[in-house]
Amino acid sequence: MPDSGVTAEAAPAPAPAVPTTPESTGEESRGIFWTIVVCGLVMVVCGWFLPWYVEEISNGVGYSPMDAVLSFTGVGTILIYVVAVAMVVLIAGLADDLYRRARHLAPRFTMQRAVLAAAGALATGAIAVLIGVLHEEPLFGSLDAYSFTDNAVWMTLTGFALCAFGYGFKPWIVRHPGIAFTAVAFAIGAAFPLIFNQAGDFVGWGARFAAIYILLALGLNVVVGFAGLLDLGYAAFFAIGAYTTASLAGQRYGLHLPFWVIIFLGAAIASLFGAVLGAPTLRLRGDYLAIVTLGFGEIIPDLATNNVFSATGGPNGLAADPAKFGGFNLGQLGAIPANTKFYFWLLIILVALVVVALRNVERSRLGRAWVAIREDEVAAAATGINTVSTKLLAFSIGASVSGFAGAFFGAMLGTVTPDNFQFAVSVTVLSTVVLGGIGSIAGVTVGAVVIAFVVNWIIPNAQQWMGTLGTTTGLTALGNFNVSQYVYILYGLILIGIMLLRPAGLLPSRARKVELTKGGTEEVLSEVEAS
Amino acid sequence: MAAILEVDRIAKVFGGLHAVQDVSFDVGEKEIVSMIGPNGAGKTTAFNCITGLYPLTSGDIRFRGESLRRKPPHKITRLGITRTFQNIRLFSFMTAVDNVMVGEHCRMHAKVWDAVFRTPSERHEERDVEKRALDILRRLGIERYADAYARNLPYGLQRRLEIARALASNPSLLLLDEPAAGLNQREKRELMEVIATLREGGLTIFLIEHDMRVVMEISDRIVVLDHGEKIAEGAPQEVRKNPRVIEAYLGSGASQEMRST
Repeated sequence: MPDSGVTAEAAPAPAPAVPTTPESTGEESRGIFWTIVVCGLVMVVCGWFLPWYVEEISNGVGYSPMDAVLSFTGVGTILIYVVAVAMVVLIAGLADDLYRRARHLAPRFTMQRAVLAAAGALATGAIAVLIGVLHEEPLFGSLDAYSFTDNAVWMTLTGFALCAFGYGFKPWIVRHPGIAFTAVAFAIGAAFPLIFNQAGDFVGWGARFAAIYILLALGLNVVVGFAGLLDLGYAAFFAIGAYTTASLAGQRYGLHLPFWVIIFLGAAIASLFGAVLGAPTLRLRGDYLAIVTLGFGEIIPDLATNNVFSATGGPNGLAADPAKFGGFNLGQLGAIPANTKFYFWLLIILVALVVVALRNVERSRLGRAWVAIREDEVAAAATGINTVSTKLLAFSIGASVSGFAGAFFGAMLGTVTPDNFQFAVSVTVLSTVVLGGIGSIAGVTVGAVVIAFVVNWIIPNAQQWMGTLGTTTGLTALGNFNVSQYVYILYGLILIGIMLLRPAGLLPSRARKVELTKGGTEEVLSEVEAS
Repeated sequence: MAAILEVDRIAKVFGGLHAVQDVSFDVGEKEIVSMIGPNGAGKTTAFNCITGLYPLTSGDIRFRGESLRRKPPHKITRLGITRTFQNIRLFSFMTAVDNVMVGEHCRMHAKVWDAVFRTPSERHEERDVEKRALDILRRLGIERYADAYARNLPYGLQRRLEIARALASNPSLLLLDEPAAGLNQREKRELMEVIATLREGGLTIFLIEHDMRVVMEISDRIVVLDHGEKIAEGAPQEVRKNPRVIEAYLGSGASQEMRST
C-alpha cells in the first residue's frame, strides 16, 4: 500500500475509466453543433409565425402563413410549401435525433437535411424577391406585398442558412468548434439589424444591452475567469469610461475629442484606475479582495451622484457627444432610428477586436500565468511568475475593456448618469460570466446575450405582453395580472435552473468542464494508479 | 568544491514557535545534499525560506554569493533556484505541457502588446517554448501525456511532471521536497535514476526525503534537522552512526541501546 502524500478527499467515487490520454473534446464540439442547429430551427419557426403575429397587432397588415398553405391559390405558393415542409421535416429530424441519442444510435440523414435546409433558404429568398422586389403578387394569390415582412424573411433565411451550415459541415464543426462558433456568432451579429429592421426597439436593445453586456462580460472574464480574482465592483470601470467620454467629448469642459480617440482613451483611463485600485488590494485574497472591489464599485457611482469637484453633474449626469465620423453624426441612440443599426454594427466590430485580442492574450505567456495563479498561487510564485504584476495586469486589462465599453456607451446614449452604473450592473455582469461559462470567451458571450434578453427585454416587456395576450385571448384577467411583482422571481428561477442543469455554464471552458464533471475523483484515481 | 548555496545562521519564528533556528550549511556545486529529520523538524520551512515563500526572521541565504534576503519568490526562481512541493502543487486544470510552459515563464520575454497583436517574435518564442517543454517531458519519459490534464496523471507521473516544471526555468539548483513520498519501489528506483541523470547534466540537487534507502544511496552529504536546529551534517555513513541522529529518530536511550547491542 503506497503512502500517498495526497490528502484523501471525502468524496469517494467509483474510479472511472482512466483518462490519462488527451481529453476528448467531442462532447463540447457537438454542443456547438447542436447550438447552431437548434438556434437555426428556432429562427425558422419564429420567422414563420412572425407575419401571423404582426397581423394580430397591426390590424390585418400581413397574413397568416397557414392561410397561404391551406388555400393553394398561386404558382408561387409552392415556394411557401417548400419552406413549410423543410421546417416540419427538420423539426421532426430533431425529434428523431433525440430518439436515436437515447438509444445510442448515430444520427442519420445529415446530408439530406442540409440539402433540405438549403432548399428552404432558397425558397425563402425567392419568395422575398418575387413579392417584395418584383411585386409578383398574383403568383401567390391573395397575398399582398406585406405578406412576408422582411423581418420574417431575414429570420427564416438566417435560420435555414444556419441549419444548412450545421448539417452540411457537421464533421468540420465537430473538429473546429471554436472557429465555427465564432463564424456563426458574427454572422448572426451582422444580420441582426437586418432581421429586426422593422423592430427598431429590439435592435436598440441589441446595441444598448446585449452588445454592451458582451463587452463587459468579456472584460470581467479576464479577471474572474482567467485570473480567478473575484471582482464585485466591475461597473465602476464602466462608469469611468463613460465619464471619460462625457468629460472629453461634451459640453462640460467644452472639449470635443473625436469618437475613435475617446473610446481608446476611456479604455486607457479605466485600465489606469484598475492598476491604481489593484496595486494596494491585490495582496488580498478571495473574499477580502471581493469586498474591497465591492467598496470601490459603490464609491464611484456615489462620487458621481454627489458631483464631487462638480465634475460629474450629479444625478442629472453629463451630456456627451454622440459618435461622429467626419461629417456623419450618428446622433443619440434612438434619436435617428435608422442609425441604431450602425451603432450595433460598430459594437460588433469592437466585440470582434476585443475577442481577438483576449484570445491572443489567453493563449500567450500571460494567459498561462493567469491560469497558473488561479490554480495555485504559491506554486505559480515558486515557478517564477511575478504574481503581483500578473494579477495587476489581469485587473488592468479587465478594467480597460470595461472602460472601452463605458466610453462607447456614453457616446451612444448622449448622457451619462450615475444610475447606469449601480451595483446591480456589476452583479448582472458577474452572473453573465458564471452562467455563460467562467473562463470561456464563447460562453460568456452567449451568457451576456441570454441575461440581457431576460433582464432587459423580457422583464420590461412582460407586462405589455400579458396585456396583449389578455386582449387576444379575451381573458382580460391576464392583462390585469401584475407581472412586475414576479419577474425577478422568474429571473432567479431561470438562473437556478441553468446552473443546476449546466453547472459549468452554458458553454463551459474545457478545464472548468472537467473540474465540475469529474470533481473529487482524481485522488482516488491517483491512488489506484500508484499501487 | 565551491558552495552554490550558503545558508548562514537562518532563523524563522512563527509567533512563539521557533520553526528553524540558527541553521547553517552549504550546498556545493553539483552536489546532491539531503536534508532529513523527524516530522516537524523545520525542513520544509527551511525550503520555503530558501525559495522566498517565507521571509527570514534572521540570518542570510546566499546563492552564488548573492543574498536572497527580501527577494520575492519569482526573482529567486529567475536566479536559478526552483523547487517541487511535498504535497504536489501542479496546476491541475492545465495540460502537462502547459504546466511545463508555465515553468518557462521567467525565461520568456513577450510583453502584453506582443501577445495582443501576436507579433512574429511572440509566435516564434511560443513555438520555441513549446518545443522545449515537449523536450523536457520527453527527457522525463512523460511526453505521451503532454495533452492530459495534470490532475488526471497517475500520482507517480505527477511527481515527475512537477520536476519537469521545475526544470523548465533552467535552474542550477533544484530543491526537491520529499520526491519519493507515495511512490512504489519501481517508481523510487526510476526517480533515483532521474536524479542521477540530472546531476550528470550539471545540476545541483538539494532534497528533503524520509526514505532512508533513497537518501543513503544518492546523497553526497546529509544535513539533519531536529526541532528546528541542525544536529548533524556529513557523509551518509557518518550521519547514520551519529548518536544524536539516532536519538532524534528513535528517542533518547535508543543510542545507548544500539551501542550496547
